[in-house]
Amino acid sequence: MTATMEGPEATKVKDVIVCRDVHKWYGDFEALKGVDLTVTAGEVVVILGPSGSGKSTFIRCMNRLEEHQEGRIIIDGIELTHDVRNISEIRREVGMVFQQFNLFPHLTVLENITLAPINVRKWTREKAEDLAVTWLTRVGIPEQADKYPGQLSGGQQQRVAIARALTMQPKILLFDEPTSALDPEMISEVLDVMRDLARAGYTIVAVTHEMGFAREVANRIIFMDGGEIVEENTPTDFFNNPTHERTKLFLSQILNH
Amino acid sequence: MASVTTTAPSKPPVQERGTFSKKFNFNYFVQDNVTGSRGLIIWVSFLALINLGLLFQQFNNAPGRTWIIFGIWAVTVLGTVVGELFTLHIGATRWLKENMFNSVSNALLTLLLALLVGIVVAGLWSWGVVNATFDPQLTHPDVRTFDGASWGVIWGARKLLLTGLLEPEQSWRVILWTVTILALWALSFIGTREQTRETRWGTLVRQFANVGWLLSPFLSYIFLAGLEYTEPFIDPRRLIIGTIVFSAIMGILWFFKVIQLTPITTALWVLSWPAAYLMWRGITLWNANAELFTTIDPDRWGGLLLTVIFAIFVNLLSLPIGILLALGRRADVQGIPWWILWPVAIGLTAWGLYSSTFGNCIGTIPALCENVNLWATSRNTVEQIVAFWPLLIPLATWAFLRSFNGNFLQAFSVLFIEIIRGVPLITLLFMAIIMAPFFLPEDSQGLSNFWAVIVGYTIFTSSYTAELVRGGLQAIPKGQYEAADSLGINTLQKYRFIILPQALRILIPPLAGAVIGTFKSSSLVALVGMIDLVGSTKAIIANSQWLGLRTELYVFMFVLYFLVSSIVSWYSRRLEERTGLGVR
Repeated sequence: MTATMEGPEATKVKDVIVCRDVHKWYGDFEALKGVDLTVTAGEVVVILGPSGSGKSTFIRCMNRLEEHQEGRIIIDGIELTHDVRNISEIRREVGMVFQQFNLFPHLTVLENITLAPINVRKWTREKAEDLAVTWLTRVGIPEQADKYPGQLSGGQQQRVAIARALTMQPKILLFDEPTSALDPEMISEVLDVMRDLARAGYTIVAVTHEMGFAREVANRIIFMDGGEIVEENTPTDFFNNPTHERTKLFLSQILNH
Repeated sequence: MASVTTTAPSKPPVQERGTFSKKFNFNYFVQDNVTGSRGLIIWVSFLALINLGLLFQQFNNAPGRTWIIFGIWAVTVLGTVVGELFTLHIGATRWLKENMFNSVSNALLTLLLALLVGIVVAGLWSWGVVNATFDPQLTHPDVRTFDGASWGVIWGARKLLLTGLLEPEQSWRVILWTVTILALWALSFIGTREQTRETRWGTLVRQFANVGWLLSPFLSYIFLAGLEYTEPFIDPRRLIIGTIVFSAIMGILWFFKVIQLTPITTALWVLSWPAAYLMWRGITLWNANAELFTTIDPDRWGGLLLTVIFAIFVNLLSLPIGILLALGRRADVQGIPWWILWPVAIGLTAWGLYSSTFGNCIGTIPALCENVNLWATSRNTVEQIVAFWPLLIPLATWAFLRSFNGNFLQAFSVLFIEIIRGVPLITLLFMAIIMAPFFLPEDSQGLSNFWAVIVGYTIFTSSYTAELVRGGLQAIPKGQYEAADSLGINTLQKYRFIILPQALRILIPPLAGAVIGTFKSSSLVALVGMIDLVGSTKAIIANSQWLGLRTELYVFMFVLYFLVSSIVSWYSRRLEERTGLGVR
């Protein structure tokens, strides 16, 4: 069991996420205007951008929580189409952590985590609970296994959500503003877990406003505005020598507030 | 922050008991209670006048009772006033002051209500107890007392009230059924109590009760409707077709990963129908030999039994149908999903093959029985092939599935719900009983009245249940659906494990209301000639033996309806508390 804990399972192809010219409309409003992105296995990509820039929409397209209308999205060699089997296969391999945690309030922490492995992966209850407890230990809250989500603090709930995503043994992790709904003193406990996962070699795509985390952990930073990728750079260059005017404005606004 | 110092709030000086209240001020008292506003003056004088009038009238009519009521009122008011003025309150006077006499107008209202309650209770007492007769022999109009109630009618007409037209020698079966259901309920209750739930003994009781509940529909059917033994002991057609249908269900469940298939579970599934069929035939044969549970026509059920059967049947059927309709109304599927169409096609094929090629006609729809014995009467190969026409159904289904587009599920659900909700229940019941036979062929026996009403009533109730359930589904945050999706859980599992458990918990109070409503509205079936509790009451009142004893019977009916309804609402509150665990 510990072997799988060390890092993610090997992916089938090197470029685990390939997005080509992705378009998405909400009615007349074009939320994504032809986005291209390639993420290789083990890479940590942080997406930054002002609100309404389409960054959340973009990563929600990667596991079909939102449907893209044009372009191609290929996750670990499988293309996202209307085919239900493809969608469910991709969702098995892509874990997601939400801003609002979205734990199931009527189930205990352990049941929250083991529900999908038992019903989707078809593991035995023992195997699922074993791995669930291991992951709860790794995110630092093994003693909370039998509580209900409502009895936990926000930071603890988000760590449960991370454990829930990871117990499915995904190859890719998507974080959709995982710390935005947390009290300041709880943000660091979640960021620590994410840092740990990045070092363990998980492929991570994260939308976040935590600049420290982005600077320290990311291999690459994507800056989006108005449904387009404006700038794509290494963290050092992104924060120190931004090339695009829009990026400079954004950075000056968030770094000097 | 730390620099701000707060002084402790000064406590009001404690007044010594028995001294005159320092808070009381006569001017303020009069102002607060009487002269505060023009409206208050009118209200207090109005109450005082009515009280005076009623008191005078009552002192003339029933001096004893009135003296007692007025005396108690006067003494308690005095006690409260003394307690208030001299700070001598004890628990009782404080309660009186807070709940009965907290102002002059409320003190007057208390007296008024006490007088009125006195009148009603005294009237009921003299009618229902003092002047009443309890002997069933004394209910005939020639010998009955007209001063009070003739409660004997309830005992005398008990058979009709409780079981309607059921033959008296069969009533032991109803008693057996009632005892069985109540025992199961008691076992469930004991097994789920806080104190016993975790113990091994409690688990055992609970599991026993669960098995009992699973068997209860069959037991109820055997006890109340009885079994008939006509066919040969083993009918291979039923055996084979049943097995095919069961295996098809298993296949679909397996495909959706609701169940896992190991060699053992596969064998169990395949063998489940033959085993159940053999057991059922065995019971039927044994029953026929022992002549225990002979058949009873459902149209002979009546009285409270019929009312309860209606409530159970309609509520049990309408909840799943309502859930399906609600899900259908929220569906976002193009065309008819194959997992609905294929089971229907398989079922139709099995049924068609059964009825057309084996010379048997099941069901009551004669139009489809014209194919009877196609196989037996076929003279050549072509006709033999034609006899297997139901095999074309899957092909037609496939073609239909390919060509039909549009959100069929939603359209169907919306139309069904809105049309049925736009029609009064009584209209539906009349349509079910009177108009349905016009649509069925002449030589058919059609549905019996009982089943017609069950169908009509269920359709009506499920459209309301569907809207309740839809409300519950919409109360579940979008994030719950997204979290389930992102974990790769399929739609069926998503609703089974995540959405419905939460939605149904929210729905317990309105569903309990719907259950009670269904139970009470079932009295409408009396209007279409069914002899339920209301129907049998009407029959009893019209009987020369008990002519015109409506008050006694309606009081009895009130008590029965009230008892059942309060049990349901008490049970729903308990359910709500028990499922409230861990909800944020």
